[in-house]
Amino acid sequence: MPDGEAPAATATRASVRTAASPPLRSRIRLRAASLSGQIFIYFLFASFVGLVVAEVATKGGNQTGAQIMNGLQIGAIYALIAIGYTMVYGIIELINFAHGDVFTFGAMLSVWIGALLGKVGLDVTKLATSNFAGLIAALLIIFPLTMVCTGMLGVVIERVAYRRLRNAPRLAPLITAIGMSFLLEGIMFVAAGSGNYPAQKDDWITGIAFTIGSVRVSWPQLFVIIVAVVMMLLLQGFVRYTRMGKAMRATAQDRDAALLSGININRTISLTFFIGSALAAAGAVVYAIYYDLLQWNLGFRFGIIAFTAAVLGGIGNILGAGLGGFLIGLIYVFGSDLLGGQWGNSIIFAMLILVLTLRPSGLLGMRVPDRA
Amino acid sequence: MPDQSDIAEPQARVDLPDTGTQTRRAESASVFWLVVVGGVLLMLLAWLLPWFVEQTASGVGHSPMDVIVSAPTGVGWIAIWALGIGMVLLIAGVAYDAFAVNSGRVEPFRWSRIRAGIALFCAACTLLVLVLVTSRSELVFGSVSANALTDNAVWMMLAGSLLLAFAYGLRPWVTSHGGLAFTAVAFVIGGLFPLMFNQAPGFVVWGAQSAGIYVLLALGLNVVVGFAGLLDLGYAAFFAIGAYTTASMASANHGLHLPFWVLIFIGAAAAGLFGAILGAPTLRLRGDYLAIVTLGFGEIVPDMAQNNLFGATGGPNGISGVDSPAFPTHGSSLDFGIFGINPRPYYWTILVLIALVVVLLRNVERSRLGRAWIAIREDEVAASATGINTVSTKLLAFSIGASVSGFAGAFFGAMLSSVTPDNFQFAVSVTALTTVVLGGIGNITGVVVGAMLVSFVIFWVLPELQGWMGTLGKNIGVQSLGTIQYSDYKFVVYGLVLISIMLLRPSGLLPSRARKVELETGAESEPLAAVQERA
Repeated sequence: MPDGEAPAATATRASVRTAASPPLRSRIRLRAASLSGQIFIYFLFASFVGLVVAEVATKGGNQTGAQIMNGLQIGAIYALIAIGYTMVYGIIELINFAHGDVFTFGAMLSVWIGALLGKVGLDVTKLATSNFAGLIAALLIIFPLTMVCTGMLGVVIERVAYRRLRNAPRLAPLITAIGMSFLLEGIMFVAAGSGNYPAQKDDWITGIAFTIGSVRVSWPQLFVIIVAVVMMLLLQGFVRYTRMGKAMRATAQDRDAALLSGININRTISLTFFIGSALAAAGAVVYAIYYDLLQWNLGFRFGIIAFTAAVLGGIGNILGAGLGGFLIGLIYVFGSDLLGGQWGNSIIFAMLILVLTLRPSGLLGMRVPDRA
Repeated sequence: MPDQSDIAEPQARVDLPDTGTQTRRAESASVFWLVVVGGVLLMLLAWLLPWFVEQTASGVGHSPMDVIVSAPTGVGWIAIWALGIGMVLLIAGVAYDAFAVNSGRVEPFRWSRIRAGIALFCAACTLLVLVLVTSRSELVFGSVSANALTDNAVWMMLAGSLLLAFAYGLRPWVTSHGGLAFTAVAFVIGGLFPLMFNQAPGFVVWGAQSAGIYVLLALGLNVVVGFAGLLDLGYAAFFAIGAYTTASMASANHGLHLPFWVLIFIGAAAAGLFGAILGAPTLRLRGDYLAIVTLGFGEIVPDMAQNNLFGATGGPNGISGVDSPAFPTHGSSLDFGIFGINPRPYYWTILVLIALVVVLLRNVERSRLGRAWIAIREDEVAASATGINTVSTKLLAFSIGASVSGFAGAFFGAMLSSVTPDNFQFAVSVTALTTVVLGGIGNITGVVVGAMLVSFVIFWVLPELQGWMGTLGKNIGVQSLGTIQYSDYKFVVYGLVLISIMLLRPSGLLPSRARKVELETGAESEPLAAVQERA
């Protein structure tokens, strides 16, 4: 993976200079880049603090507390999706545009799997709402099934749409990714209709877990955050301590060198897609349980927001994706609360533009993408 | 003139000192086949149409034959038989050509009197039938009657046979001057289109509103994606800016009522300005990151319109009551009034706009700027090393592309007489991208064909398919055909087109020469094996 140089204000002219006398020029350029990046971090931090202060000042402490919980809970879902983006980008440098729709597809799959199980005489909803053990059993059925099915979907997508274009110019796989996104959306549109599609899981987990001051934390919120954190820790452990995880890291660092040292590149990339999609599916099941209503084009917005999270955290960095997810969740919730809900998406898109132009390496990222 | 255009040519190879002649000839040959396939399809469709469209109450014939025979003179029979024989000869000739080119063993039938004779004979018969049919059709600006597509089958058949006669008779010329031939065909058929479908105003509306708009969008997006190689996923934003600019300056919204002919240029200029504004900070990003940033911009603009920023956009309901364009002679002694709801003037207007844009873009493509775009697309560092100012060149690409989109948007707002944020969703950007990818990234002729194909399938065939299939189901006894909502499959079509084109024919249906080499061999990251193979 060729490491590019950080973009600077005078990027193109600087690149000419770099070509002329590399060491000095690139040093100047890197310094300029890190300067604008540093400023961006301070700016981000300041505006985040500003958001919280404004929220406390206008809405009071209680609502701020409730919004922090909301932000963490939606951020957990963003984080789970963002991991898929960041892993795929880290390993094959592709923005997997279809990933948001894989998420939605996972949510729909969880509904369809539930219906299928109902056909063979296992009513999951009844099981889940009977008692605590039943709920655990239902979750242990629905989660692995949905995650495996969605993971396989991710593998198939990579096999069909991306593998043949691995050595093609950058834009080719991006265009197939957009095509894949629309294909999935189209299938869901035909299957689920244009309106809301209820997942019928909203009564699985209910009730208030505990209260801090007067901020009530509900079980569903706690559940969402716990699932996300557990998944992220598992993934981090997997990537760090297993052989396959090592293979993934090696492939991400240098595909050719990994190949030379005997790593099966294709299998590693397939595994990456499997894990990324499976985590999106976990987020999807959680979403279905929490929000209940699904829409065929849900994945577009979630995909963009999660991608913003991945970039904010530093693309290619799994911890960064988690951090970015929670941050974006908080920013989304606070921003919507302060400016009005209709501006929520615009805030995220503006964040996306700012991060990509000012600090494409994100908060924790080391590598700076700078390729055609 | 000897004809050797498509006799088993070797595949264009990257390392050949290519003068461009061979590939240009191959391109022109593909125009020949495009025209031939178009002609045959039109003729076939004409005969198949009565199967799909119900006979109308006004007693319109069931097939082209019936309609022509009902022409008021006895000459009809003779004309029909002569035309039939001519068409059979033409199809046989074209089939022989196809066989000759595919087998590679025999040469296509050369330029000769027989060849020209068949074509002339067929063209004459077509024109005779044309005269017979027009004797009972309406005037150019006459009112349009009920939607009776069967009647138009005649026109489709005649257009098809004319196309085929043209391509077959002038084959050497067509295969050596592909671009010119395509332009000629496009403008003759395109210009006569509203007359051909005078019984089907819906189809003319489609022509102006979907096909025309998407051709303009494809032309503009092609500047950004095709010429300069920057993927723009927020192209609908500029379309929206053009539309909203026009709408706010020609409606009661701000009490301004500027004439349409000024406004389309203001709309284009506004969009171009925004193109530059967006481009300025983001152009140092390359490739996929740039695509995502433009996507973000493309979402923010409709969001702002939706949320009625500064109270200027009318919120979710948009701006309605946009002035209808007036004929340029409005106010003088030769006053035709305003366009109103008759789709024909809109159609011809957008045809002229397209012609204008095509001429401009062709010239820009061949200018210093166009060559600079290609240089940047292929290797940005090398381009800037040769003295190209990459920033301003890219900005110009963004700006010119955006202004074409603003053009389309201004027209769109005036034609619909209202603009709402829903008209500028991400799907519009993806449709434009699909048209460019399908037609051939970087090739003007290609993207025009792509835009017409995509808009035909998405905005005409799919919505109408349910009705057609219902009739077909009744005719052949399969009722369930009419119960499927075919327009629901729109997104599936986009997805399949994008994926299959990128996998199977990444340079599109009508590839641009330079882009073909880049997209199929991967000029940037060529695998070592491929290089060794060539060496």
